Amino acid sequence: MLEIDAISRRYGSVVALERLSFAVEDGSICGFVGPNGAGKTTAMRIILGVLAADDGEVRWDGGRIDGATRARFGYMPEERGLYPKMRVADQLEYFARLHGVPRGDAAAAAQRWIERMGLTERACDRVEALSLGNQQRVQLAAALVHEPVALILDEPFSGLDPIGVDVMSEVLRERAGAGVPVLFSSHQLELVERLCDSVAILKAGRLVAFGPVAELRSRGGRGAWRVVVNVNGDGTDWIARVPGARVLQADARGLLVALEDGADEQALLDAARAAGRVWHFAREEPTLTELFKGVIAA
Amino acid sequence: MRPRHAAALVARREIVERIRDRSLLISTAVTLAILAAILLIPPLIGIGGTTTYKVAVAGPQAEQVARAAQRDAKTFDAKIEIVQVADERAVRKAVDAEKADAGLSGDARAIVVRKKLDDKLGNALQEGSRQLRLQAQPPPPLPVHTLLASDNSDDLQTITFVAVLLLYFQLVGYGYWLASGIVEEKASRIVEVLLATIRARELLAGKIVGIGIVGFMQLLVIGVGATALGVATDQVSLTGDTARAVGVVLAWFVLGYAFYACLFAVAGALVPRQEDIQNTTTPLSIVLFGSFMLSFAAIDDPGGGLATALTFIPPTAPMIAPVRLIAGEMPVEQIVVSVAVLLAGTAALVAIAARMYSNAVLRTGTRVKLLEAWRSAQS
Repeated sequence: MLEIDAISRRYGSVVALERLSFAVEDGSICGFVGPNGAGKTTAMRIILGVLAADDGEVRWDGGRIDGATRARFGYMPEERGLYPKMRVADQLEYFARLHGVPRGDAAAAAQRWIERMGLTERACDRVEALSLGNQQRVQLAAALVHEPVALILDEPFSGLDPIGVDVMSEVLRERAGAGVPVLFSSHQLELVERLCDSVAILKAGRLVAFGPVAELRSRGGRGAWRVVVNVNGDGTDWIARVPGARVLQADARGLLVALEDGADEQALLDAARAAGRVWHFAREEPTLTELFKGVIAA
Repeated sequence: MRPRHAAALVARREIVERIRDRSLLISTAVTLAILAAILLIPPLIGIGGTTTYKVAVAGPQAEQVARAAQRDAKTFDAKIEIVQVADERAVRKAVDAEKADAGLSGDARAIVVRKKLDDKLGNALQEGSRQLRLQAQPPPPLPVHTLLASDNSDDLQTITFVAVLLLYFQLVGYGYWLASGIVEEKASRIVEVLLATIRARELLAGKIVGIGIVGFMQLLVIGVGATALGVATDQVSLTGDTARAVGVVLAWFVLGYAFYACLFAVAGALVPRQEDIQNTTTPLSIVLFGSFMLSFAAIDDPGGGLATALTFIPPTAPMIAPVRLIAGEMPVEQIVVSVAVLLAGTAALVAIAARMYSNAVLRTGTRVKLLEAWRSAQS
């Protein structure tokens, strides 16, 4: 288990992280979201030891992380980095060896990932000769070639085409399935929602929400009620008669109504029935995007 | 699972990738070609080589002058063959028929030439004549006190010049190569992946050592190649001087590279892109070029006060000490002090460079100021 415990980091007078704490369980995928500049990259760099925290610590299986442990992590920074003039196979083997894989195993692991990424024909090409998509594949392989015990990926999906997104998703699920904790940041919230077991939302260096996606949804209010009513007149007047109800959105699909805590959805239904014929009355779960916007705006 | 020899892995990559790079082969070939040109072209176009002249003489006096000229002819890059003829008329005839380049009249009071007296031959004959006339009424010669034996000083100066030239280019070239290698890692952002795996110090040490080994091997190839070429073409004799020069250059490349590599590494770590690398490496290039220029003063006067002083200053020592060593003008205690001072300077620089490199190498985007690199507490 990867634990981030109250880490803080300042750049001069700017606070990049303020007592950030959360954990990624073995075998689970955690989405790391937040607006640009919220501190996601700083946090990841601290986890990898590329940056030092001013305060707090990162723990692995309950212990302080040392260099030997970190060498077993897999990291993909937001700004991708490969030696442009080095051949694909040599590059992967080099990374495997830097991570402590013995020489013979390193070559075999490089070969395995080259095959897995469909790069067999390009194995002896220099990286600079590959297309950007293929370079991304090499980058992912470089993060995985040493069978990491934890994966930390900064924006792994940015710049990928739909097939690349599928390959990446599959690899992350597979690694998590093998018991590896996976933490990745992304702005593609639908993807995070689909892929992740838990989500950490960061705003201005502070954690504003963390937990399983389903739990966060329920915590983000009871959701809104979508009511499709066939009424005469201008159509929304009747809502005013329901205490604690407020129209969020009115469109061709009907009305989206928010109820305050304690307000009675049955009263809403009664009022709707009184106003006209009700075709649809259902609770709608907030999407992660709505949740995100709500949390960030608060 | 942490690699025990992370720095060795980094060094190995540098060596393998750079040897694979065609530019290393090209630069070695070009350097050898330049040295071959220095060695081979002057004699071909008549500069520096020895020219053989025939001098017609009649009578014992003329012959004496010719013999005296013959002895000292080498000083003037000339070689004189004496052609004995019967009398003064025969001398004129031989010169006119171009059987001799010059002739000496019977009393050796005049030089006879067909059209124009060649400079080298003229100097040799005038010197020969002058010596004989002085012998007749010799002024007391000045006593000569030789402090350190160095006989073939001309050859030695040429060897020294070539040695310093090689050292200079190798130090500048490999320092720059190191800096641009560091910028490459910075600009391609690979440094972040690397530093998530190994320590900045390991990465820096591996790069410096790896590139240094390539530089040393190239210098070895060039040194041995150039010596072989010189011996094969009879331009260099395989004496102790030559072997010592090659050894001195190799040893001082190691010492000088270690010192300057730390500085070039910081210069590379400060800038974000290859285009900016000149900004920070230029001051270093100037220092190296200045040392190179000062080495000429040391070639002229290897035992002088200036040369001696410069031997004990770390930035100039790598260019000056080799000059004095090849000239044989450096006592053992000075060698020890010079090397010790340079090593101490290098040790201090290693610590400073490691800190500044670690601080600056992750700061992409803008150029990092020296003081910021020293102060900022990123590890």
